[in-house]
Formats: sequence, structure tokens, C-alpha cells
Amino acid sequence: MTSTIEMSTVAVHSDAVLAEPRIRVRGLDFFYGANQALKSINVDFPDRQVTGMIGPSGCGKSTLLRVMNRMYDLYPGQRAVGEVLLDGANILAPGVDLNQLRSRIGMVFQKPTPFPMSIYENIAFGVNLHERLSKAQMDERVEWSLSRAALWDEVKDRLTASAMGLSGGQQQRLCIARTIAVRPEVILLDEPTSALDPISTLKIEELIDELKQDFTIVIVTHNMQQAARCADQVAFFYLGELVEVDTATQMFTAPKQRRTQEYITGRFG
Amino acid sequence: MSGVVSAMTGPRRDPAVADRLSRRRRRMNRLVKGLCTGATLVGLVFLGLILGTLLWLGFGGLHWSVFTEATKPPGSHGGLLNAIVGSLIQTLIGTAVGTPVGIMVGTYLSEYAAGTRLGDAVRFVSDVLLSAPSILIGLFVYQVLVSPFGAFSGIAGGLALAVIVVPIVVRTTEDMLRLIPVELREAAVALGAPKWKSIVLVCYPAARDGIATGVLLAVARIAGETAPLLFTSLGNLNWSISLTRPMSSLPVTIYQYAGSAFEDWVQLAWVGALLITLGVLALNIVARVLLRPRR
Repeated sequence: MTSTIEMSTVAVHSDAVLAEPRIRVRGLDFFYGANQALKSINVDFPDRQVTGMIGPSGCGKSTLLRVMNRMYDLYPGQRAVGEVLLDGANILAPGVDLNQLRSRIGMVFQKPTPFPMSIYENIAFGVNLHERLSKAQMDERVEWSLSRAALWDEVKDRLTASAMGLSGGQQQRLCIARTIAVRPEVILLDEPTSALDPISTLKIEELIDELKQDFTIVIVTHNMQQAARCADQVAFFYLGELVEVDTATQMFTAPKQRRTQEYITGRFG
Repeated sequence: MSGVVSAMTGPRRDPAVADRLSRRRRRMNRLVKGLCTGATLVGLVFLGLILGTLLWLGFGGLHWSVFTEATKPPGSHGGLLNAIVGSLIQTLIGTAVGTPVGIMVGTYLSEYAAGTRLGDAVRFVSDVLLSAPSILIGLFVYQVLVSPFGAFSGIAGGLALAVIVVPIVVRTTEDMLRLIPVELREAAVALGAPKWKSIVLVCYPAARDGIATGVLLAVARIAGETAPLLFTSLGNLNWSISLTRPMSSLPVTIYQYAGSAFEDWVQLAWVGALLITLGVLALNIVARVLLRPRR
């Protein structure tokens, strides 16, 4: 295993130095019933940068994502032990206001999930949960979020049309717009492009690059190129453990662990 | 690779056997297809005969006076106005009372009680109620609302119909809510929506067409119910829209008139039957249109 890895196909986009962590995960264990899905995870998510989480299916990366906005709370039998510190406060502590937490940590899912209402109402839905805006302010917020999600030009003439009539790529950008309209600090993206065509994927990747100016972003992806293109920091998970985490450059050019190297070069996974 | 190799060198199949099996399958296919077509035709023939008789005998008596006159003694050219209005009122009460209850119970079963013992028990009871003989429901309401007050009443009839509506709406509401993908609920929750808001603002709109269809089918069902009304609203040969008095209805009027010895009453019974059938048909068509998938 001394051979140099074939990295020529992977163009690492970012050579940024990692920023101060916004979220720190400390000693996190996660259980689906008796089945342990995450084993003492320690990882930091740098502020206003993109962390890509990679690893084979079932390795726990989506689970970690769902811990960070406490989505797992919906399901009895799932529990997390350890600490997830957002600005120093443990979000796993009892008594945390989950609705407020989720307004600070937004999430976009694998499949586009437009609500069965108009494009405008899709955006307003989330905003109305946390703020009282006048009609003019709401109009402004809708335009702002749709513009940030690179969707405004395509939908500005049909804001009252049903969101179900949009294409898959547009629906996913609507979901991103809906998430950022709430003005979160962190955005979790769970394989946001795996159901999309290459052009829509490209648009969303460009969008992620643009959004990290304002938001701390965590993205789960099965696509190595995507991780290389989008992420500043990459974390590799395997069988519920965090094998390695480093800057994208380091991970894709000189990973320290053999398993990381094997996974990145496509020898398993 | 190995699969290709074994297919090249592995056992060959006997063309004669394959041919025989194929012919047997086709013969079986023809037989079953013939049986199915026959069964369908038998069903359609009876349906056609029923509708044909209804149209033939019903249209003959259809006249403006049916809609403008109340039921009158035999031989004096009465109509069905009191029965039509009575049916509308009682159906309206049944729907207005039964629908909210049914939707709330269905929501409870789907969103709050999934997998719990109480939920399973409620679902079981609701399903039993769904197939309970409607005369039992009439007797029940008689015991609770008629006997204690010593009077048959329109309100008792409406509430008996509501008891029939509830389990139908419970079932469709639960089924339709369960069809909503978990991702949609999670998406609402991920924006910081409390559970009740994600149900009311996201799940209900997503399930709206299905739930509306269930309600319409329930309305169609109670519009033709006779047994629950016999012991509750009783029927009334005079014009009355008082909820605390006996109230007329199309099914009960049909029941009373069809068995009578008077030709014009029998004729009106056929007209009433035609009206109910056309009404139910219209409701079913509306339900069909609502349920039609759309973009």
C-alpha cells in the first residue's frame, strides 16, 4: 500500500485554512434501539465553511446529521449520548427548545420535499413559524431567499403557482430557499443532489459555494468529486466511526489512514 | 462472467417441453380470461337491469310537483318535497357532526397513536362500527336520544347518520395521512414547526383530496340509509323541518310508499329511488374527479 493514489481526477476546490469551529461534537454515541450507529465521535465543524461527510452507506454520516438538528427525537427508541455544542451550548441537553434549535440549524433532504402549496407559501411557511412579518417584509424575504437559492429568475412570475409543478432541481432549490429564509446559522444537507440531474447538481454546488459566506454548511455526499468540489473540510466515516477528518486538500492528496485512501480511490464502499 | 459461461455450456432446455408448457399456459389464460369476462357480464347485466327499471319507472312519475308539493294522501297528487328536504337536512347534520369527529380520530390514529395499544383498540372498534348493521345504529340512537325524550326527531336521525359517517371518515383520513411521505413531515419539522402545525398546515393539504373523497363517499352512503332513520326520525307525511319533530326522508318514504296499495304512492317511491340514485351517482362522480391524480 505504498503506491501513490490516483488523485488526478479529483480536483480539490478549496485550500482554505479551517476556521474556528461553530459546532463541536464530543464523545457522541448514537443508538437505534440496541443497535449502535455512532461510536464516540469527536469532530468540529468550522464556522462559515463547508464540511463534507463521506463514507459507504450505513456508516452513520446521515445519522450524525440528524443528531445535529435533533430530528431523531421524532422517533422513540433512537437516542444520542454525548455532547453536540453549538456556540458552546449542548443541544442534546434536556430542555432545549427543539423548534428554536431547528430554526438555527436548517436541513435539506435527499429528495426534494416541496409542501403542497404555492411557491410563495412554501417560503412563508417556515418564516411564519418564527417571525411576524408584514406583507411587504415577507415579499422581501421571499425574494431574498429565492435569489440566494438561484431560483428567483425562474419563478418570479409564478410565485402563486403550486410548488409541485417545478422540476426536481427547482424543487430542491426551493427547499434550500425555504431553509435559508428562516435565517439559520447552520445548514445541513443530506445528499441534496443525489436525486438530481447533472445540471441541477452543478447549480446546487455553485449555490453551496455561495452560501458558505453566511452559513456554516455540513453536507453528506456519496459523490467524492462533489466532496472535493464543495468542501473545505472532509470527514470520512466507516461503520459508525469517524476514521479521519482533515482539510479537503489533505484528505484527497495525503490521507493518513489506509481505509480513507482505499475509500477515496474507490477500492471499496 | 461466470453466469455467461454457464449459460453457454450449461444444460440446454428441451424445445418440445417448452412448447407444451407455453401452450398450456395460453390455454389456462384463455379459460381464466373467459371466466372473468363472464363474471363481469353477469354483474353488469344486473346493474343494467336495476338502473333500467329505475329509469323506466322513475322518469315516468317525474314531474314538477314532486319538488314543489309535500307528500299527500293517496289520490291527491302529492310530491316528495318534505322527504327531499328532510333527507338533505339529516344528511347535512350527519356529515357536519360526523366529519370533524372522523377526521380528528383518523388524525389521532395516524399521527399520535401509531403502534400504541389504545390506537390499535380504537382502530379495531372503528372498523367494527364500519361494518355494523345500520339498524343497530338506529336502535342505539333510539335508546339514547328518542326513548328518553319520548319523541322521534330529525336531530336523532341526523345523529344516527353521523354515527355511520364517523368510521368511514376515520378510515380514509388515517389511510390518506399514512400515504404522506415521512420526508414531508420531517421537512416541516426541520423548519422548526411543532407537530400540530406540520399536521394542519402540511399533512392536511397534502391529503385533502383523499379525505374529501372519503367524506363524499360517506355522504353517498348515508343519503340512502333507511334503517337508522326508522327508529329515529321515523318519517313524516306532513311538511316539517323542525329538528325536534319526526322528519321525513327519501329512503323512509320509499320504504313506506313502495309497499303501499296506492298506485300513485308506488309511483312516487320509484321517483324517490331515482332521485337518490342520481344524487349518489353525482357524488361518486365528484369523488372520482377529486381523486384523479393531477399535476
